[in-house]
Order: sequence, then C-alpha cells, then structure tokens
Amino acid sequence: MELFRKTLDPVFALAVIAVLDIFLFLTVGAWTVGGGETMMTGLIAQAFLGDELKRLPFWTLVFEPHWDYWKMYISLGMFFGAFIGAVASKEFYLRVPRRLSEWVMITLGGLLMGIGIRLAFVCNVSTFFGLTPEMNLGGYLAVSGIIAGAWVGSLIYKKMLEG
Amino acid sequence: MSTIAECMIAFVFGTAVGLLVQRSRFCNTAALRDAMMFSTYRNTKALLVAMMILTVGFTAFMTVGAGHPLDFDVGLNTFLGLFLFGLGMVLAGACTVSTWVKAAEGNVGAVWALLFTFIGMFLFSLLWSYNQWPPAPASMTGDPNPEALQAGFANARTLQEKTGIPAIVFGLIQFAVLAAIYRAIRRKEQAREKDEASE
Repeated sequence: MELFRKTLDPVFALAVIAVLDIFLFLTVGAWTVGGGETMMTGLIAQAFLGDELKRLPFWTLVFEPHWDYWKMYISLGMFFGAFIGAVASKEFYLRVPRRLSEWVMITLGGLLMGIGIRLAFVCNVSTFFGLTPEMNLGGYLAVSGIIAGAWVGSLIYKKMLEG
Repeated sequence: MSTIAECMIAFVFGTAVGLLVQRSRFCNTAALRDAMMFSTYRNTKALLVAMMILTVGFTAFMTVGAGHPLDFDVGLNTFLGLFLFGLGMVLAGACTVSTWVKAAEGNVGAVWALLFTFIGMFLFSLLWSYNQWPPAPASMTGDPNPEALQAGFANARTLQEKTGIPAIVFGLIQFAVLAAIYRAIRRKEQAREKDEASE
C-alpha cells in the first residue's frame, strides 16, 4: 500500500488532522493529550496507593481518577495508530539512547513536560490545536510561553551539541 | 452522548492521528526547534496550515453556538507552564504527541520520556495539594482574579457576545495573520532555493 511505502507530506497530514479535529470539537471537544495523560497518572497512582491517594486534594478536586475519561483514549488511539503505521511500513524496531547525556536530557525533559502541563492546565496540543484556534486568551499566553521555553531549550541543546 | 461513545470516538480519532503523524514524521517539537536552530520549516508550515484550518472551522461553528470550546480561567500559570513544557520538549526531543508515536515505533527513550512526564505530573499533584495554585476548575469564575494571578476567561465566543461582531470575523483576522507568517516562511525558503541554484 502506497501509504506505507513513502513518507506523507506533513502539510497534507496536518490538514487532514485539522478537519478531523473540527469533527471532534463538534462532538466532544478539541484534540488534547495532557488531560488524558494526567488521568493515566491518577489511575496508575491509584493502583499503587489505593485510597491513600484521596489524601492528596489534587486527585479529588482537580482530577478524580476514572476509566471513562474520553481524553485518555486519544493517547491510546495515537499509540495504536502509530504502531500499525510503524509495523506496516517496517519502521518498528527497538531504539535505545546510547549516551548518558541523552538519558539525562530525556529524564529532565519528561519531568518538565509533566510539571508544565499540570501547572498550565494545557499541553502543546491544546495550545496549537484547541485554545489558539478558539481564540482563547490562554492560547496566546501558552504560545508565548512555549516559544520562550523552546528558545531557551534550543540554546541549551545547541551548547550540548557544540560541547 | 454516552461516555462509551465519547471514548470510542476519541480512540478512532487518536488512531487516525497516530497513523498520520507516524507516516508524515510530523513533530511539534521540530516545528519550533528546527525553525529556531536551523531555519528549516518543514514542520512549522504544517502546524501553521492546521492552525489556519482550525481557526476558521472553530470560529465558524462558535458563531452559531456549536462545538465544545475549552472553558477555564488562564493566567500566569498558563505562560509559566508552557515555558517549562517548551524547555522540556526540546531537551527530551519529543512532545506529547511524538512521545506516543515514537514509543509505538519501539523508541525506548520516548517510553522513558513518557514515564517521566507521568512522574512530573504526580510531583506537581503533590505541590498543588500543598499550595492549591493555580485555582481548581470548580473555583474558577471566568473573571480576572489578580490575587491568584488569573486573567479570567475569554475566547471568540465571548468576543462575539461583548462586541456583537460574529466570532468568524475575528477568526478570519487570525487566519490572515497565520497566512502572513506562512507566506513569509515560503518567501524565505524560495530566496534560499534561488541562492542555492545560483551557486
């Protein structure tokens, strides 16, 4: 199948995703990832801590863990769709970071992304594919923040590449 | 709509997105990082096109009261949170979408990034449980709250309500701004292609 033999033009792919996102906006809400990931965090924490988790007000006042939270299934769907794409195009194989510096950057980066999403109540997907197209004030604050953060990150990344 | 139907729609949408992102190698991190570091715009152009389509689509439906726009107060935390996120995604080399997509391709680093995103979220839940800032959604009013560093809530629909001008008009203005940025990028690329051809 042609789709699995050559790389798609990202402009075409994102245009299709945008049209699908409009349908999602009309049925449940715009594309988002951070909310679903938070719910997964809550469910994993609940599996380990049980009712002890309720002692943390965040998990009762902001995100009460439950399985029927639709946003979570977007992420699971993305994983499934990408897995099908990778296997069908023979692009699935194990890749492991080789250097310690890569592991450190990924660990720090992951932590910052998790903290940042929860501090802002939004992720990059909600910023570009939800809030800003809705002309939400938060979209402009978030775009300013992510550009500033990516710029600082790029300076650090550049230093590391040079070093 | 039942919650099961919502979850199924979300899963089908996610599957299509995962497949399209995997086959196109689109990356939101690269859309910002590559433009800043290498002046290459493959992903930036795709992001801009999506935002143009979404702006017109969302504001058109918001004009007639359709759709489910995000509805919560924003403030300093929105800027700071995405600042940390932007920094983190460049360091990790992946954003929320590409961590899932790369993990599905067998990238162990992406799985690690995802794991630490979850850990970061849990650490923040500990901090929030202590200071309860930013305010929980239930206590949001939509109005500015300077004490909590909150600017309130505003979107194309509230603009329409306040001014009487249809939301789509504001959407078309934003579309024009995004299109101008896209055009500026294309001109830059064409100038570079011309230079390369003349060398």
